[in-house]
Amino acid sequence: MATKVHRDTGSTDLSLPDDQLKEILYLLKLARYFDERMEALYRQGRLPGAIYSGRGQEGTHVGVTFALDEGDSLFPTHRDLTAQLTKGLDLKRVMAQFWGRIDGYTRGRDGNSHIGDWQGNKTFTVMSHLPIAYPVAIGAAWAYQRRDDGHVAMAICGDGSTSNGRWHEALNWSAIFRLPVVWVVNNNQFAYSTPNTREFAVPTIAERADAYGMPGVRVDGADVLEVHRAAKEAVDRAREGGGPTLIESVSLRWRGHAGHDPAKYVPKEMLDNYVADKDPVKNFQQLLLDRKVVDDGDIEELNGRIEREFDEGYEYALASPFPEPGDAFKGNWVEDGYWTSEPGRDGGTEAG
Amino acid sequence: MATAKVETGAAGHGAEPRGKRSDDGQATYLVAIAEALWEEMERDERVYMLGEDIGAYGGAFKVTEGFIEHFGDQRVIDTPIAEETIVGMAVGSAMEGFRPVAEFQYADFMSSGFDEITTVLSRYHYRSGVPLPVVLRGPSGGGVRGSSFHSINPEPWFAHAGGIKVVCPAFPSDAKGLLKSAIRDDNPVMYLEHKWIYRRIKEQVSEDPDFLVPIGKAAVRREGSDVSIITYGAMVHKALEAATSLEAKGISVEIVDLRTVYPMDEETVLSSVAKTSRALVLSESYRVLGIGAEVAAVIAEKAFEHLDAPVERLSPPNLPVPFSPTLEDAFLPGVDDIEAAVERLSTW
Repeated sequence: MATKVHRDTGSTDLSLPDDQLKEILYLLKLARYFDERMEALYRQGRLPGAIYSGRGQEGTHVGVTFALDEGDSLFPTHRDLTAQLTKGLDLKRVMAQFWGRIDGYTRGRDGNSHIGDWQGNKTFTVMSHLPIAYPVAIGAAWAYQRRDDGHVAMAICGDGSTSNGRWHEALNWSAIFRLPVVWVVNNNQFAYSTPNTREFAVPTIAERADAYGMPGVRVDGADVLEVHRAAKEAVDRAREGGGPTLIESVSLRWRGHAGHDPAKYVPKEMLDNYVADKDPVKNFQQLLLDRKVVDDGDIEELNGRIEREFDEGYEYALASPFPEPGDAFKGNWVEDGYWTSEPGRDGGTEAG
Repeated sequence: MATAKVETGAAGHGAEPRGKRSDDGQATYLVAIAEALWEEMERDERVYMLGEDIGAYGGAFKVTEGFIEHFGDQRVIDTPIAEETIVGMAVGSAMEGFRPVAEFQYADFMSSGFDEITTVLSRYHYRSGVPLPVVLRGPSGGGVRGSSFHSINPEPWFAHAGGIKVVCPAFPSDAKGLLKSAIRDDNPVMYLEHKWIYRRIKEQVSEDPDFLVPIGKAAVRREGSDVSIITYGAMVHKALEAATSLEAKGISVEIVDLRTVYPMDEETVLSSVAKTSRALVLSESYRVLGIGAEVAAVIAEKAFEHLDAPVERLSPPNLPVPFSPTLEDAFLPGVDDIEAAVERLSTW
């Protein structure tokens, strides 16, 4: 069993075609812009509910998800909205979800990044009891194996999730049945306020793969290309019948667990150094500028496009009606037809 | 209906083969469950089974004996001992269009998969619109000297979750018809098979491949005019026994078998109470906040004007099921307890 492939190469290998590199840059920048604007709206009291910033971890989210095909499925967490956007979710409907509107992906039944679009983009609607989706990914992967259709399931969790029994159940099970699944751990070094030292006693999460009988790889989450290469290798292996892989992508959570959390438990110097050296968005943009894949004009245009898309999304969200109050009591049983018919749109746009 | 020969080892394990229908077409509850599974597996390629020791061993109670030989190990899957992932796998494969039937070796071990059951299985459709046609089966109930960890009646825990239909058949025909309905249902269904009934009760069971018993419908097992007993599962049989001796004392008992505990058939319960004006709610699940508590509340709320006596509940306390015969017999509602309760009610 070949395991513990520790990569620390720093990516300068631009083997992806230019259009894909540009798409990755767009997704990274969109994620960062979205994260910052949403936090501002939250602090201004203009965004109800909660926000779970993924800032600083965009390299992980875009890198792993960019390795998936349309028919592959993704089982993310609340921290992984960027991964869902990479998988293809529509920014407008994502924003409608944040504002509790009927056009959101859960029709107002859930908020913020507790989102998913199984019917469209094959993403699991996020649940909080992490890593609750790891066992569910087993079922999807089993279905692909049974049908021999070449699809792959990918599940993401954080470093804190690796302490939970289900994480071990799922990894063990996937190796036993050699399932086409990729396990991603976004190790951002803090589970809410709990550091890695209170979550595991081994040096790395990746080396745990040895114990389950699958390859493990540790990558620099600030380096989107390195992450993507590892993910692509894992996805290809799974697709070809080679079974599961564990990817530990190391980054740092730049913001608190949620919007209310100032994260004072993260040492200031640690964060400052990280932000200065390991900004996955800034570094990738600089790389593409240095390699002349893009120029300053392209960046300006991209910034404008992203700002416009956000504004359009915001406008769309606020114009979308709230669900009608009676909807709260529908859609629990399949036979009531709530989910297979268009919902009412008379809920208004003002909430009490 | 006749009483079959009982072969139980420790905790009701089925060391003996499952057996088959008798020449006159009678089937035990155990055989009826196996027939339902077999027929639905034959009918629909998407149906598959997963669980612990269900393949070569044929399941702890021999429900799935012979299945792996016929359907193969892709449709009869022996799993690791990992209940959260058994449920997770069922959910994930249902999202991909399969119709899993997961066996828990004992219903007691459903608590080992609690989060995946109550958080994912129960709530996912409401939040996403994705149907989850998942059946979770498990042998429940006491009376077989199974003690704390092999006797539980977990139906209140999961009925309370809200997004899972919970059925508890008492007879072989219902066992077959409800399981077939559960497998064809597009919603999650928890199917609790009472292990005390497995080999004790047999009756004529339909061989029609489309024989279905609707989920959410109770059945009146015995017509009567003085007192209604509302119950389900193994307690139906205790109630029937009590009703026979009460009849000799001149008390006419009506027995409503809920069959599905969630969502509950309030109409059948209420029309029985309207007829008798007295209700004994009998359940093997816990008394406090149990299934019986809900039945009693429904009667108090919606049949108040018909009542001639307070609604009485008969069910065990919220304590572990004890092992020693003297303790377990005292713990579970018995025929004597039922008779005494009905007599109390009929004095009003």
